[in-house]
Parts: sequence; structure tokens; C-alpha cells
Amino acid sequence: MSETPKLVLFQCQWCLFSPADQDWVDNQLSENIHLAKVPCTGRINPLYLLNAVQGGADGVMVSGCLPEQCHFKTGNIAARRQLEEFSDYLNHIGYEQDRIRFLWLDLQDRGIIQKELAAFEAQITALGPAHNLATRATETAGGANA
Amino acid sequence: MPDLDALKAEAKRILIEGVVDIVIGFKAGDTPLHPQPAFFKTIDEVDQLAFDGLCQNNLATYLTRFPKTQKIGMLVRGCENRSVNALVFEGQHPREGLYLIGVPCEGIIDWRKIVAQTGEEVISVTEQSDNTILVEAKSGFFTLEKKTLLHESCARCIHPNPISADVVIGELLPEGDPALARAIVASFAELPLQERHAWFRQEAERCIRCYACREACPMCYCEECFVDHISPRWTESGTTPAGMQGWHIVRAFHQTGRCTSCGACERACPMDIKMTYLTEKLNDDMRRKYNFEVGLDATTPPPFSTVTLDDKSRFVV
Repeated sequence: MSETPKLVLFQCQWCLFSPADQDWVDNQLSENIHLAKVPCTGRINPLYLLNAVQGGADGVMVSGCLPEQCHFKTGNIAARRQLEEFSDYLNHIGYEQDRIRFLWLDLQDRGIIQKELAAFEAQITALGPAHNLATRATETAGGANA
Repeated sequence: MPDLDALKAEAKRILIEGVVDIVIGFKAGDTPLHPQPAFFKTIDEVDQLAFDGLCQNNLATYLTRFPKTQKIGMLVRGCENRSVNALVFEGQHPREGLYLIGVPCEGIIDWRKIVAQTGEEVISVTEQSDNTILVEAKSGFFTLEKKTLLHESCARCIHPNPISADVVIGELLPEGDPALARAIVASFAELPLQERHAWFRQEAERCIRCYACREACPMCYCEECFVDHISPRWTESGTTPAGMQGWHIVRAFHQTGRCTSCGACERACPMDIKMTYLTEKLNDDMRRKYNFEVGLDATTPPPFSTVTLDDKSRFVV
């Protein structure tokens, strides 16, 4: 595939403890990666993932904290239960599971997110554009969409 | 077949004694294939009570449409009882305000399977004691085996008996085999990805967005459904491919750990869209991963309402 894949990164605002990594994500992400910062992975409704997928994303990455390191105690575990099930369920109806990846970061980790994003982008490039779930119609002027 | 006279007597007793204000049951409908839900407030009305294999609604749906202060009597089969338990857990009605008349269920007959054999114009349907039903149609008389007419979700039912009814009328039936419910999930999951997707797309694209599945489901009681939400617009609300797929994906996903596999959504669908292959998959996951079966009691929270550090082992580190 010649085109660069469109990716969405849902990032828990606490999971990148190093200012350098956070700065890289905030300012230096390439244009094909859409960043959605959330207060905690527990804030991510499975509808957000569906929205990304139906909005034309070829891959979705969720980065959050490891168990017992959640800023809100158990947000990541609750998120894990729902999001893992949701991606499993999307796979059941024929969406490639490889297109949704979870990245659980240790607070001690440095420089992991750059590597993981690059690996994920390579994986999605290999898979090609996502076709299996219909995408929404482009918003018309005034937002009168369906 | 439940003893209709005993059901009526019990319904009358609780109305007379003031145990409940209203009894929810069934009465004969406009056509013999469609008995309809009925709400009895006086003992005279109770004489209309009907109950047979063709009663296809899940009566627990109506629980959330009454004020919580109302004392409600309800005819419950296995799935309805579990739906009621789940609703009680979710605080939709106090258990003290309910009187459940349990009926062990032999399975709901899919009227579409009758029509497929007899033609549309059915004059009468009689259940006979030897597990057959006698159908009088314009095209003649038919004696059909009841077992072959059961709705798919009833054919693989695990808990046919009411679990926490106040009184049970009729003899308890043997429990179903969980392997049957597992089998349809496993056989679907074995298909290659593209075939699974083709099946999903072909089912979803027939949707006319009437939301009959939502109305029939006891667990779909949100005041504002996500599809009706305008800002943000979660998914398209028209019959566009993305809208139809989004609806079917999320409708089923919102039932995770809450669906009792009653199959009311599928029976309500005017387009005959299969939906239980979605909810069964989620139910099966809840059983395997969290050992959770919905509605067995009204106190255990569903997996998505609770968290435990035991989940730690499932994180990919």
C-alpha cells in the first residue's frame, strides 16, 4: 500500500510519565495519527472506538497504565474489561483484531510509545486500508448528516 | 402446557388480596399466531388470560414502564425471571413490589416456522398433549411436531425454569445443556474472517431501523438511546451501511453481561434479522472469562459493573 494509514491514538494523560515522551506525542506525531487524549482509559467508551473505526481509521491504538498504577485506582482495569471484549467482539463480526492494539505502559517506561507506534503503523501498512466495517458518510456542510 | 385455570386462579387471588395492583400476562391477539401482552387490573379481565407456546414477548420489558411504587404481578418463564432479576439489580423496580408467577417454559414457538409450512392464513392453533400442535389453515389441517418449531434461542435454552418466582405453577423441567449455546458461538467463530463479515453485513443491511428489537428487549430501557442522541451523533441514524452496522454492533454490545438470551429481539424483527449470534458470543465470553451468568440472582454485579485486581493477569505486559 502506498498510502500512509490513518491511525487514531487514544492516550491516557497519565500513562506517559516522562515529559519528553509526552512532549513527543503532543507535538511531534506525524499527521496521519490523530491524537485523542483522555483523562484515563476508563473514560474511553467502546463507542469511541467504533466512532474511530467508522470514521475511517485504519488502526486504533489505546495507551494506558498498568494495573495498580492507574491515577484513578481501577480505571484501566475497567477499561480493559470493556475494550478488550469490544475488540474481541468486532473480530467476531469480521473486523481484523490486529487493527486495534492496546499498549499498557509502566510509569518507568521511557521511549516505548515511539517504538510501539512505529511498529503498529508498519503492521497496519501491511494490512492495508480497512474495508470490513462501513464508514460514515462525510459530513456535509451544516452537519446535516443522515 | 401450563394449567391455565391455576394461572387464572393465582392471578385473581393476588388481585383480590391486594398483593398487586396489576397483573402482566398474555391474552388472545388479533390472529391465532400472535397472542399479545395484556395488563389485567380487575378479576373480570383475568378471564381473558391466555398462555401458550406462541406467547413470544418477554414480559419483563414492561416492568420499566410502570412507576416503581406500583405493585406488579407478572407471569414469568425462565428467561423473563432472569431478566427481572437483572432489572432488579439495576434498580429498575424493587423486588418487594413484584409478585412473580413462575411457569416452567417448554420453549417459544417461532410463528414463522408454522407459516413456512402452512401458508399465511392460519385459522386456529391448538397445542395437543402429545407435544404436537394442530394448525388449521386455509390450506388444510396440519399436525406439527412442537420440537421442530421452537425458536432457536429456546431450542438451546439453559434455564427454562423460573429461578426466583414467588410461586411456580407446573412441573419443573430439566435444565438445558450449556454446550448447545456454546456450539453456535463456536461454529460461527470457526468461519474465516471474511465469511463472518459477509454474514454480519448481509444481516445488518436488511435493517429498516424500526427499533423493534430495542422495544422488545427488557434490558433496553434507556430514556435516550445512543442512536437517538444528536450531539454527539454516535452513529448515523438512517439506513446507511455505517448506521445499520453501528446500530447492530452497539445494541448487542450494550447487552454484554445483561442479555438473558430470550431471543425477543430476533422474534420482534420484521426483517427476520438474526441477532442472537452477536449476543450469544458476548454471553459466552462472560461465562468463560468471568464465570458470570446473568439473572441467576439479583445481587451479583455483571462483569462490566465491577472491577477486580484479578484481571491483572490478563494484561499483556
